[in-house]
Amino acid sequence: MSPQLNINEKDEKLYLPEIAKVTKVKSFTDQEKFFEVELASGRSLNHDPGQFVQVSVLGIGEAPISISSPPEKGSRFEMCIRAVGPLTRKLHTLGVGDNIFIRGPFGHGFDKDILDKLSGKHLLFIAGGIGYVPLRSLINMVLEEKEIYEKISILYGCKTPQERMFPSELDEINSIGGNVELLEIVDRPDNNWKGYSGVITNLIPRVSINPENCIAVIVGPPIMYKFVIMDLLDLKMPKKSIYISLERRMKCGIGKCGHCQMEGIYVCQEGPVFNYSYVANNKEIF
Amino acid sequence: MNKTINRPFFQITKDGMLAAIDKMLQDYSVAALTEKNKNVVFDFVKSSAEISNVYKPTILSPKKFFFPQEEVILEYTAEGKVTAIIESKPMVLFGIRPCDINAKKVMDEAFAESNGDANYLSKIENSVIIGIDCKQVCDEDSFCYRVNSQEVTTGCDILLYDLGEKYIFEYKNEKGREFAIKYFGSQGSDHGAYDKFLKEKESNFGKTEGPFKDLEYLPGVFEHTKDHPIWEEEAKRCLSCGSCIMVCPTCYCFDVADELALNLKEGQRLRRWDACMLSDFANVATGESFRKEVSNRIRHRMNRKFNFLMRKHHQPACVGCGRCVRACLADISPKEIVEIITGEKERE
Repeated sequence: MSPQLNINEKDEKLYLPEIAKVTKVKSFTDQEKFFEVELASGRSLNHDPGQFVQVSVLGIGEAPISISSPPEKGSRFEMCIRAVGPLTRKLHTLGVGDNIFIRGPFGHGFDKDILDKLSGKHLLFIAGGIGYVPLRSLINMVLEEKEIYEKISILYGCKTPQERMFPSELDEINSIGGNVELLEIVDRPDNNWKGYSGVITNLIPRVSINPENCIAVIVGPPIMYKFVIMDLLDLKMPKKSIYISLERRMKCGIGKCGHCQMEGIYVCQEGPVFNYSYVANNKEIF
Repeated sequence: MNKTINRPFFQITKDGMLAAIDKMLQDYSVAALTEKNKNVVFDFVKSSAEISNVYKPTILSPKKFFFPQEEVILEYTAEGKVTAIIESKPMVLFGIRPCDINAKKVMDEAFAESNGDANYLSKIENSVIIGIDCKQVCDEDSFCYRVNSQEVTTGCDILLYDLGEKYIFEYKNEKGREFAIKYFGSQGSDHGAYDKFLKEKESNFGKTEGPFKDLEYLPGVFEHTKDHPIWEEEAKRCLSCGSCIMVCPTCYCFDVADELALNLKEGQRLRRWDACMLSDFANVATGESFRKEVSNRIRHRMNRKFNFLMRKHHQPACVGCGRCVRACLADISPKEIVEIITGEKERE
């Protein structure tokens, strides 16, 4: 055996999910629903922001879903799920009291090492569409102790005003003031939209950024983070000050099935949260 | 390899081996090389008489015994009772060849690292692996000699050397020692018989091209050839059928799927072989594909063999068994790809 490999004992529960009960459901858009669930065992998920769980409905299947709540919510946690396939469409039919099954949390999120590096910094969150969902775990966590950061800027872009996630929470964030700012933009505004219109990169020049003290955290579709990263690098932000969280279709969550592999990296093990400097040369990032 | 000091060798006649196999069959399921529709396959046998004497490369590798094409990992009921299913039975795998032994080493590590996969590992634990060394290259598609996988260090419990009228053997670990004493006896063999085998083997393999140029540096070579024209060129021929992956002894990617019984009261979660050469392998729910182009997929697969997994396992994850070469409808060969990438050969 190679000395570098971490060979563990066999784990008979690797693929065995645990039961969880839906405790809250709320529709956000035509496609997205918010779920709060509670593990039946009463254990706390004990996750880091940015981690994911494998959610299943028996008889339908299993899929990776981001955890949207900040850590330490006891045995309850939150997800926001877009109905795109058989599993997620089935999840959309569930109500309070129904059972789902959970494995995890999995992956490498914003762990203590990363969180320690954030204090005193200007945090620049940039979310596209449903990308706000995984980012919300960290956003809500840092808003709890906003005074330890120099500034918190949240840039959020959606295709239409109807696609905004957590709209009432966004309104709350907008009213915090002080060192917290929220800038929103939509691609296709309606008559009621009073904010900016266009693509998310239009918002970047509206934030005052000192590249030496700013940490950017980006979550969105590839076409979005590609251009956001280009703009941040143009502003002389160092690659190591940029974090991204990537979406891949994990089938196992434990570094075996190969579906999430991005060149040599298993996103389910080393990600989904990456320091950009680590993946900047990866050809399969976009 | 020719350090025979402190390596005890034993011997058993061919007839003795057949009797030993019949004895094993009382205690184990025995899988070995056997004829099926004019081909040879690794399959379970009921008697030593069913075992083929002449080795020809099989279509599927013995990985199927530890990582079946389809395997139940969970069973559940409509009431929500879920049970992990981990199946294994006492099994002897008789007569696997150096390429497949080296492939098994990669698989063992892949399933054991970080999260020990009980479905795979319990089958390995419950098995005795008896290898047979190769004295020569088995056919023109094999290229074990280019990745040194004709050499066996570990990966099996007992290794046999075919000396015509008899086998000599050595055990590779305690499990192999106990098994060999019980079924093969412990009649010693002088090192001369092994040395004679080895000399012939070295002479035969000496006539081949030998290892790839820069074999140990292939991960670095592949890392720096991601824009090489070969990926586009091979993509023009590749049919993205995934055959290469189905027959590969070191491919272990899988899909996970649920199946409900017809009564809708119970169901199973299965894992099945999957293939990174298939166009939807790296798709995500929203339809994005992270390896849309065939060229990206060929590059990925070859990098898994000679870069990503080679870094991890310190041996190429291609063992040169030649199965993908025989299975490919478009005549794509990893051997040729490596030779072009390293500059050893020009494209014909």
